[in-house]
Amino acid sequence: MEENLEHRDWMKGIKETGFTAPSNYFDELNESIRARLVTERLKAVVPADGFAVPEGYFDQLNATVLTKTSGKKATESKIVRLWRSNVLKYASAACFVIIAGLGVYFNNEQQLVVRQSVRADLAAEQMLFDIDEDVIIEHIEANYKEEKQSASDAELENYILNNYSQSDLTGIL
Amino acid sequence: MKQVEDAEILKKFSDVKTRDEAFNLLLNKYQQKIYWHIRRLVIDHDDTDDLVQDVFIKVWKNLDNFRSDSQLYTWIYRIATNESITFLNKQKQRNNTPLDEVSGELEETLVASSHFDGDRIQMKLQKALLTLPEKQRLIFNMKYFDDLKYEEIAEITGTSVGALKASFHIAVKKIETFMLNEDITF
Repeated sequence: MEENLEHRDWMKGIKETGFTAPSNYFDELNESIRARLVTERLKAVVPADGFAVPEGYFDQLNATVLTKTSGKKATESKIVRLWRSNVLKYASAACFVIIAGLGVYFNNEQQLVVRQSVRADLAAEQMLFDIDEDVIIEHIEANYKEEKQSASDAELENYILNNYSQSDLTGIL
Repeated sequence: MKQVEDAEILKKFSDVKTRDEAFNLLLNKYQQKIYWHIRRLVIDHDDTDDLVQDVFIKVWKNLDNFRSDSQLYTWIYRIATNESITFLNKQKQRNNTPLDEVSGELEETLVASSHFDGDRIQMKLQKALLTLPEKQRLIFNMKYFDDLKYEEIAEITGTSVGALKASFHIAVKKIETFMLNEDITF
């Protein structure tokens, strides 16, 4: 008879109570019980901390604190307005706008100078690129010859004779 | 002596005529609790004396701004805890000790203290506590010696109850191991 009752559909789930416990409750419960047992056993052996104070200390403490507080008013915290008037508020806002404006202006100026310098470099490069290679070679050779011809043979001979002895020249040769 | 209700203290403090009387009642009610709370953290009596005075002067200055949405004693405990932790952090900075470690100076102070009447086992428990990180030591003290509830400690420390429980369980395990290693059975 009992077996039949337990297998009836309406009986299924009747053992559920509807109560719930917080998640991880049973893990914590073990730890809590253990901690309580340990502390209770420990308290039986060490009921107090063992610290002491000088005799009459608490009476003296009371008097010391009261001496320090009496005559002083319990201070109420005052709210100090950062902006006392509208004039200061608007002046500060104006200063901020001016400083920000100057910052933006100088930043733009600097960028303009950099841009111009980059453009000039590009133009110079383009100009060199447009010149024919032969023209450049002729120009370099002409300069080289001019440099070579800058001292005559007679001048060189005089320089050597004035600065080197006969023996130096023999040694070198 | 019958303890006065916090509500009565606050009511009297709000009236200028009875303000001093109210503060005297507050001091009588809380000075010892706050002293011992600070003492267990900073160990030295003279340092505690300075700090407990600072705490009650802060209480005096700010009691007008106290909002009744928290309890008066948890508010005072919070001030005391913050003052003590600030003091310990300054001490660590002086000794170049990392902030999450306990300063070795505290154990030296404990051993040298002339105001420690405890027996050998009490000394061992204090030494065991000084091996814990500051927060675990704070939580253990408030549970073990002050018998505060997790909800009250949460209000004082601004930490969730779950985190407090975890810290307390770890602290208890460490202390048990320390005491057993020192051949103290319980």
